[in-house]
Amino acid sequence: MLGPNGSGKTTTLGMLMGVVNPSAGSFSWFGEAPSHLTRRRIGAVLEHPIFYPYLSGQKNLELNALIKGASAASIRKVLEIVELSARKDDKYKNYSLGMKQRLAIASALLNDPMILILDEPTNGLDPMGIAEIRELIKRIAADGKTIILASHLLDEVQKVCSHFAVLKRGKLMHYGPVDEVGKGEELVEVAAFHDDLLVRLQEFAGTASVKKEKSFFVVQMKDGFHSLELNRYLFDKGIVANHLATRKKSLESQFLEILSDTDATPAAR
Amino acid sequence: MLHLLRVDLKKLTGYRTFWVVCGLYFLTLAFVTASGMEFLKWLASKGAEFGTSININRIPLYHFPDVWQNLVFISGFFKLVLAIMVVISITNEYTYRTVRQNIIDGLSRWEFLQSKMLTNLLLSLMSVAMVFIIAMATGFIYSPVLRVEDVLADLEFFPAYFLEIFAFLSYALMLGVLVQRSGLTIILLMLSHMIEAIIKVNLPVAIEDAKMIFPMESISNLVAMPFARYAFQEIQDYVKISSVAIALVWTIIFNGIAYWRLKAADI
Repeated sequence: MLGPNGSGKTTTLGMLMGVVNPSAGSFSWFGEAPSHLTRRRIGAVLEHPIFYPYLSGQKNLELNALIKGASAASIRKVLEIVELSARKDDKYKNYSLGMKQRLAIASALLNDPMILILDEPTNGLDPMGIAEIRELIKRIAADGKTIILASHLLDEVQKVCSHFAVLKRGKLMHYGPVDEVGKGEELVEVAAFHDDLLVRLQEFAGTASVKKEKSFFVVQMKDGFHSLELNRYLFDKGIVANHLATRKKSLESQFLEILSDTDATPAAR
Repeated sequence: MLHLLRVDLKKLTGYRTFWVVCGLYFLTLAFVTASGMEFLKWLASKGAEFGTSININRIPLYHFPDVWQNLVFISGFFKLVLAIMVVISITNEYTYRTVRQNIIDGLSRWEFLQSKMLTNLLLSLMSVAMVFIIAMATGFIYSPVLRVEDVLADLEFFPAYFLEIFAFLSYALMLGVLVQRSGLTIILLMLSHMIEAIIKVNLPVAIEDAKMIFPMESISNLVAMPFARYAFQEIQDYVKISSVAIALVWTIIFNGIAYWRLKAADI
């Protein structure tokens, strides 16, 4: 779930988890009306980790296991998954941010939930911590759990997610698989030691537009044309490119495109 | 039910402040209720200094059945300590935002409130048990003659005392849910009697009788002050059904408001 700060990501998740009362609309979990019992089958960390600071990690997990009806054995298991077993008896308030984040994920994993909701799980972490959490997320996903991730870090979403939705001021702007990002018209970077390169590029039948960027031109291709045809065309014209690269549209550019399109009607579900 | 009590106790038993406050509460409660004779001796020695002799053996502070109402009445003053603990317990949930996480983890809002109410219930019952044991022990020690009907008389003060504590803790819980900040809540809690007194004083004469339905008044009315009887004055040495009814209604209202507030809020 993507969106700029204040776009309603946490609010949406808060409604799904019963802490924010929706003013209108409805939702269901597992095909059932939502209740505190359905929430027990979901593991969720909204915003930052929340625990009793004066209790140890172990005691906090014992408490949450009691609430969720999870067994004591599951506490040991989740502590191992997040690699906190060695520090489990330290007070929560003495944990580093990364450890707090990991304890939150451990708590969410109690009761072996089918769905894990993580809200900006790498927020405020150092590069090491970020890498650790991402590894952890991938490992959990590999176990076959559905993970709903809210983030404004596009790189992160592109790396770990299969589908994405874009929110803006509480409205759903876009929904689709991450793989489809970058499909559609192709962008090709071209550089060659040739004075007429720009003109030649503009003359090419498959060119939609040409833009100068740093030391090369970026050609936006028309539908159905690819770098292969462009390369052949240039070669026929006696131009040999010293740089030719297909640029995939990044999630970032698509994201910005979706958001800048202010008049766009919200995407249909 | 028991499960919810365990949830709340798990939070409290790992909290040092809880042990300190509860320890102080039960210690002072035990100490003060058990040291009435020492107080009388001190009073007598003071009296002697001024030339009035008080025969402390003629004041049956700890004699059955007087001991029940005497100790229950004195114990009522200490409920504020317990109520402050309740305020800390509930406002912590807001300061740490753990109430939010509890709901996310799968407690319903009603279950969350129930867990707090059950702790209130437990603390009230423990107070009753404590005072009962001390009254029983001191009664047996100091009563000159033991008669079964005296021992069994006036036991109605214990259910009344229980309601007094539980109603006041319910009030503290409600204030905590409404205000959410510990300092402000504790101040409001301590000023409640005074604020109510100011309102009562300014009541129009026509509705003066409405005084008894005020919340703090109704809680205090459960157990009347007994000591005037030792100055040969008439006292109310029984529990009025009307007082019980009013306090009971307030208890329901307090917990109802807490639930309503918790349910309506985004947390």
